[in-house]
Amino acid sequence: MLRIGIDVGGTHTDAVLLDGDRVLAETKALTSADVLFGILEALEAVLAGRPNIENEVEAVMLGTTQFTNAVVERRELAEVAAIRIGEPSGHGLVPKIGWPADIAACLGNESYAIGGGHLYDGSLLAELNDAEIDAVIADLRLKQVNAVSVSAAFSPADPSHEIAVGERVATALPNARVTLSHTLGRLGILERENAALLNTSLLDFADRVVSSFVDAVRQRGLTCRFFVSQNDGTLMDADFARQFPALTFASGPTNSLRGACKLSGLDDAVVIDIGGTTSDIGVLQNGFPRESNLVIEVGGVRTNFRMPDLLALGLGGGSLVEDKGATVGPLSVGHRLVSEGLVFGGKTLTATDVVVAAGAAQIGDVDAVSDLDPTTVKTARARIVEMLNQGVEKMKPSSDPLPVILVGGGSVLVTEKLVAASEMLRPEHAGVANAIGAAIAQIGGETERFVSYDATPRTEAISAATAEATEVAVTAGADRSTIRVADIEEIAMSYMAGNTTRLRVKVVGEIAGLVGSNRAPR
Amino acid sequence: MRLDEDVLDDLSLGSVFLATGGGGDPYVSLLATRQVLHANGPAEMIPVDELDDDAYVVTIGAVGAPSVSLELLPSVHDAEKALRAYEEHVGRSVDAVVSFEVGGGNSLIPIAAASACGIPVIDGDGMARALPEAQMMTYPISGISPTPALALDYAGNVMTFASETAEAYEHEIRAAAEAMGGMITAVEHPMSGAELKTSVMRGTISFSIELGQLLRERRGNAERLLAPLTDLFADSLYGQIFPLYTGKVVDYSSSVVAGFDQGQARLEPFDQDGPAMTIDIRNEFLVARMGGEVVASVPDLITMLDLETGTPINAERLRYGQRVAVYGVGCPEFYRQPKALAVVEPRCFGFDIDFVPIEDLRPGWLQR
Repeated sequence: MLRIGIDVGGTHTDAVLLDGDRVLAETKALTSADVLFGILEALEAVLAGRPNIENEVEAVMLGTTQFTNAVVERRELAEVAAIRIGEPSGHGLVPKIGWPADIAACLGNESYAIGGGHLYDGSLLAELNDAEIDAVIADLRLKQVNAVSVSAAFSPADPSHEIAVGERVATALPNARVTLSHTLGRLGILERENAALLNTSLLDFADRVVSSFVDAVRQRGLTCRFFVSQNDGTLMDADFARQFPALTFASGPTNSLRGACKLSGLDDAVVIDIGGTTSDIGVLQNGFPRESNLVIEVGGVRTNFRMPDLLALGLGGGSLVEDKGATVGPLSVGHRLVSEGLVFGGKTLTATDVVVAAGAAQIGDVDAVSDLDPTTVKTARARIVEMLNQGVEKMKPSSDPLPVILVGGGSVLVTEKLVAASEMLRPEHAGVANAIGAAIAQIGGETERFVSYDATPRTEAISAATAEATEVAVTAGADRSTIRVADIEEIAMSYMAGNTTRLRVKVVGEIAGLVGSNRAPR
Repeated sequence: MRLDEDVLDDLSLGSVFLATGGGGDPYVSLLATRQVLHANGPAEMIPVDELDDDAYVVTIGAVGAPSVSLELLPSVHDAEKALRAYEEHVGRSVDAVVSFEVGGGNSLIPIAAASACGIPVIDGDGMARALPEAQMMTYPISGISPTPALALDYAGNVMTFASETAEAYEHEIRAAAEAMGGMITAVEHPMSGAELKTSVMRGTISFSIELGQLLRERRGNAERLLAPLTDLFADSLYGQIFPLYTGKVVDYSSSVVAGFDQGQARLEPFDQDGPAMTIDIRNEFLVARMGGEVVASVPDLITMLDLETGTPINAERLRYGQRVAVYGVGCPEFYRQPKALAVVEPRCFGFDIDFVPIEDLRPGWLQR
C-alpha cells in the first residue's frame, strides 16, 4: 500500500511517498504563500517519473500548522457565542475569562450561562430549563450569531445536556456552526470550553483550508482517501478535520517523534531534533511521545490539549561560538547560516564551522575554516557534546542508557557517541521525519470519566472504558482487529472518600480497508 | 495593606510552593477572586496585632476534592454568601476573616470574602502550608473549637455543624463535601481577636505574595533559586530552606486510600550514580528519603519545583519523566511543640517514624 505524507510547516513543506515502511521518494521545499500550490509541487516531486502510480496511492496524510498559526497570529478567527451549561455553579466566571484581550476581542462578547450539567458522581447538577434555552436561542437569532460553542459541567462523563442544547440550537438556527465541548475530550471545563471556542472560531477557515488540500490532491489525479493528523499522533478524515481544526494544534512535534520511531524501528528511545537554532529533545515510549503535564496555552489561551514533553536547548547548526569555544549558543544566525557561517563565505563563527574545521563534516568551503584555532575547535566540540549529553540525561526515563535517534538538519553537529546513549542512530530520510510521522499515523479513540472503584471493580471499569474508546476509534475509521490500548491514565481524586478515580483510556488502530464509509464519529 | 487584583497571581504562585504538593491548582479560585476584587475593590489585609481583642473572627475556605473544581466551578459570590449565611446562623456579624491554609485556593477565598463583605482579612493562616485535615490547623491545636460551622454548596444549600471535637468535625465536613457535589465553601472556627493572636501563623499571606513575586521574577532553572530563597526564608517565621535533590521522576504511583490520594514518587539523579529519592504522598509531599534515609518529614515542608522553570508542582500534576528540584523548609516553631506534633507528626499519616527537624537530619546525608 502506497501512502503520501505531507507536512506543511511555517517554513518548510515536506512530503514523502511510502511503500509500506519503505521511503520511495521525499521532498523538502519552502512553504509557499499559496499553500495549495506548495502542496501540488510537493505531490509532483514525490510522484514524478512514476507513471500511473496515482491509482496505487491509498491514502494521503497531511500535517499542518495553519490552524495553530491562525490562533497565534489572531487571523481568520470568526466571532463565536459561548453557551455554558452549569448554573448555579460557576456564576460570574464567564466564558473567555482570563483570555488575552486581543484574541477575546476577535471572538466577541456574546456568552450565555444556563442551568444544567452533571456532578462528579453522575447525578444532576441542575435540570435543563426549556424557557432558558428558548431565551438564548431568541437572542442568538436577534444578534444573527452563526457560530456557537456549547459546554457543560462534567460533559466528558455525561454529554447529554450538551447534545440536547446543541440540537436545539441546530434546529432553530440551521446555518449555525456548533462545537460541543465534550467532543474535544478531557476534564477541565474552562480549558475544554476554550478549545471548543477556538475550534468553532476556526470552522470557516477550516472549510477553506481542507477544501484547498482536497483540491490539490484531486488536481494531481489522486482519488484516494485523505487524512489530517492530530496532536496525539492519530488521524482524522477530511470531514472530521472540517469540524475539528483545533485538533491539529501541536501536531508537528508529535509527527516528528512518530516519524523518528518509524525510521529507527525503536519504540523506546530519546529523539534529538537539531535545527538551526535549537535542539528539541523528546522521548518515545511504546512508540508514542511522552506527554507534558503542564497546561498548554495556544496563543495565550489555556487549553486541555496535550503536547509532547520537549526539552529545548539553545544549540543548533547556526549557534554562535564564543569565548574561545567555551560558549555555544543560545544566540544563533538561524536560517541565515547559509550566508553568514564561515564555510558559506560569511563572517560568523558557528557550531557548523567548528565541526567542519575538525574534519568531522564536509559542508561548504572547508578551506574557509582551515586556520581556526584548534583549541577553540576542540573546546567548542566538547561543549556541544556536553550540552547534548546533559539534555539527554535529563529526558531519559531512568539512568539506564537508551538509544538516541538524531534527526534534523543540524544533526551533523554530533560526531561521537554520547555517554548517555546506548547507541546512536541517524536514520535515512530523517530530514522529513515530520512527513513520515503523518504518513504512518493511526486512527485513535479516547474516553475519560470519573469512576468509583468501590462501585465498579477496577478491571471492569477499564474494560468498559476500553470498549467505549474502541467504538469511537472504529466509528472514526479504525480496523477493529488492529486496535490496541495506547494509554491508560488513572488519577485518584484527593480529599474525597469512595475511591473515586479519573480514568482515561486511549486506543489506536490501523486505518480500516478502503471499503465502506469513513464518517466522523458523533 | 490593600490587596488588589495585581497581587493575586503572585499569591497563587507562592501558595502552590507552600502547599507542598497539595491544595489543588488555585487557578479557578484565582479567577473568582479576581472578579470579586474587580467588582468590589481591593481587600484590606491587616496584621493580626491590629485586630481588637474582642473582634469576632472566622475562618473561611473550600473543602473537598480540588479536581472537582475543574468542572464544578466556584461562583464568584460563594464566599460572600457563605459568610452571610454564617452570620445569620450565629446571629451576629463577623468583624474579620482569616485563612485555613496558605496553600492552593484557600489563600484566596478569604480575600474574596473580605472584599465582598467590606471587612478586613488577616495576614496569616492556620497551617503556614497545606495539610489535609481540620484538626491539623493551629486553631484547634490552640484549643479553639471548629464549630459552630457552616458549609455552602454550589446551589446555595447550607449545612451546619455543632461537632464536639475537631476530629469529629473533620469526619462530618468531609462527608458533607462528598454529599454536596464534591466541593463546598466552609466557615468555621469562630474566635475572638485575642484567641486568634495566640493561634494564627502571622504574616504568611504577605510572605506568600513575596515568594510568588520571587518565583515569577526569577523564573528559570530551579537550582539557581537557592540563594534568593535562602534570603527570603531567613526573614520569615519558617526555618531554613535546604536543597534536597535534583533529578527526574522515574516512578509515580498513587491510589485513593480512605479519601486520600496516597502514593509514592521515586526520583533518580541525572547522572549515573547517586542515591535515589523517594517521596511519600498523602495529598501533600510528606516524607522524603534518600538512599532509604529520611531527609525531611511532615510538618517540615517538602516542595517540588519544575527544574527548567522553577514553577512549583502540585502532586496531581506530577508525572513520570518530569525534571524536578526538591527543596525542604523548616516549619514554623509552632508545629514543633508536642501538642502540634501530636496531630501532624509522621505517625498521624501512617508513617512509623519519629519527627526529626530537617536541620538535624541534614548533616547526616550531606557528608555522603
